[in-house]
Amino acid sequence: MNKTLCTFGVVLVASAALIGMPGCGKKSVQSGGDAQSTQRSADSSKSGVGSYPDTSVQSGGGGLRGLDKNPSEERVGSGTMLAKIDPSSNAGRQMDEIRAEQAASAAAGLRDVFFAYDSWTITEEGRQALSRDAEWIKSNPNALLKIEGHCDERGTSAYNLVLGEKRAKAARNYLVELGVGANRLSVVSYGKERPVCTEHAESCYQQNRRGHLVVKAGK
Amino acid sequence: MTRVKMISVWFGGVLFLAGVAGILESGAADVFLEVTRPDFQKISLGIAGIQNGGGPDWLGGRIEEVLKKDVKRSLVFDLVDLPSLGITPSDIGNGTGTGSKAVFKQVAEKGVSVLVWGKAVMKEAQKDADVNMEGFVYDSGSDEVVGGKRYAGSPSVVRLMAHRFVDELVFRYTGEPGIARTKIAYVAQQGTARELFVMDYDGYDARQLTADGFLNLMPQWSPDRRFLVFTAYRDRNTQNIDMIELATGKRWTLISLGGLNITPALSPDGNFLAFASSHEGNSELYRLDTRTKGIQRLTVNPSGDLSPSWSPNGRELVFVSDRGGGPQLFLMGSDGTNVRRLTFDGDYNAAPAWSPRGNWIAYVCRTQREYKLCVISPDGQKRMQLTTGPGVDDSPSWSPDGRHLVFSSTVDGKSHIYMIGADGKDLERLTFQGTHNSAPSWSPAS
Repeated sequence: MNKTLCTFGVVLVASAALIGMPGCGKKSVQSGGDAQSTQRSADSSKSGVGSYPDTSVQSGGGGLRGLDKNPSEERVGSGTMLAKIDPSSNAGRQMDEIRAEQAASAAAGLRDVFFAYDSWTITEEGRQALSRDAEWIKSNPNALLKIEGHCDERGTSAYNLVLGEKRAKAARNYLVELGVGANRLSVVSYGKERPVCTEHAESCYQQNRRGHLVVKAGK
Repeated sequence: MTRVKMISVWFGGVLFLAGVAGILESGAADVFLEVTRPDFQKISLGIAGIQNGGGPDWLGGRIEEVLKKDVKRSLVFDLVDLPSLGITPSDIGNGTGTGSKAVFKQVAEKGVSVLVWGKAVMKEAQKDADVNMEGFVYDSGSDEVVGGKRYAGSPSVVRLMAHRFVDELVFRYTGEPGIARTKIAYVAQQGTARELFVMDYDGYDARQLTADGFLNLMPQWSPDRRFLVFTAYRDRNTQNIDMIELATGKRWTLISLGGLNITPALSPDGNFLAFASSHEGNSELYRLDTRTKGIQRLTVNPSGDLSPSWSPNGRELVFVSDRGGGPQLFLMGSDGTNVRRLTFDGDYNAAPAWSPRGNWIAYVCRTQREYKLCVISPDGQKRMQLTTGPGVDDSPSWSPDGRHLVFSSTVDGKSHIYMIGADGKDLERLTFQGTHNSAPSWSPAS
């Protein structure tokens, strides 16, 4: 597997703005080191954290009252521990925006970059696709792009989210190497949650292992 | 550890790796014993029918059906088929608490420990008619009717009445509340979106919780069952960890650091949220102190760290890291100290879930190029594969009694949700609707 060929540099500087670079060193096998981190913990960045309610368990026993030789009537609630959702127009708005993005991306003729199984290495074909994408991006200086990382259905949802991010970042880093401004490129991983096809076959899997370039609609 | 005479428990003809088969086999025997502990035989229990005291024909039968399934799933009781012992529902009398001395005698002679019967009535006048259910319990050990329950509610809670009754039975005989009223949160495809749902533990009464038209992933319960934490992409471009209150539907963003923010897991006391985030580069584990809002970084490693799961005492975390190449399970203290690798079999082990009893960690193991469920003891000494065959199994989550797991699988084609015993037996499919159901999370017991 060529996953060891290319990995992100060790970028653990406190600045969240720093991004991983596509180094080509070997993936280091680090067994120690984690403990040290806790010393420099207690991050001051309280921003990015929302409110948190008291979730400690208030009562035990689950309202069970035990069997009774002369049972009195217990009223069983309607099971509405769940609020009724209000199917808002949110879904409709999302669909409109997705369609707008798709239309803009199709008009730009942007190409996706495809990956091997379990890999986030940009192939020669991928480089060619990204080179053409880079040309378009440079000649459209106002466009902002999103690179989506996608995976096939094999493996766990969680691990594929990490893999998808590696793919998106690998594509972004190559575009930056080609001279595209990093500030015009954002990355997001959808893991295996938004497949373009759902058959359990390699012909489908290879379409899903992709970095998908999208022209962002609006801001 | 007690070595017991090897019992060969080859679930579904599991093909273990050659060379370690002996170890695994003995592990399987251990699992079998652990699950049936604390050294009890299942308690034999017969249900002599829930008689219809008035109302629609389905009423008594439906309650009885739910009771029987709950009793079986409890894994505490062994459901006895009474008609095969010559006992029919009408023998027990009119469904009142008196029962029938003749039937009691018969039941005791056949070695049945517990007999359950009852009656249900529905006043059919209007739609929100009241249902009344009565259930009674005879214990052949003490040779007496030990008691009963009387429930009242709308027709929509008929199943809940039966669930509640079985939880009372489990509580009476084990001191634990039972799982029949627990819930399962999960993700279901809705058009092109994936939204959060909650259903009863038996797959009934699914309700939608979110409707933002994009992606919501990996819900996890708060210890008090009132909230879920999950990964959300509300604007499609950024990924946050959100929290939702079930009773009100109120929802807000808890973690918005930028980058990947996934696999949230609340500590058993609710004081900490462990999660993975890539906001400082690659995916690392962090711990939010929910009281101070301070965030502590737990791992420092150029590889991906994710999927934390808490030990029941809150002192340790099991998580996934690909620092050795492929994903493997690691353990560490919940403050990030004392990291050590747990899994060594195979090149892909992920999605760990620590049993609420503490003695097992369930996870996804790759074997024969398929992704299946495995369990391993926290000391790494015992390991067993629970599922076999084709398809991707994912997201194991324990029942609060530690006797079952719920997980998603593509074994039947589309991704659906299944329940399985911790010994790999009693596989049961829970979802049948839709094109994709995944990421199940079992609620704590109420």
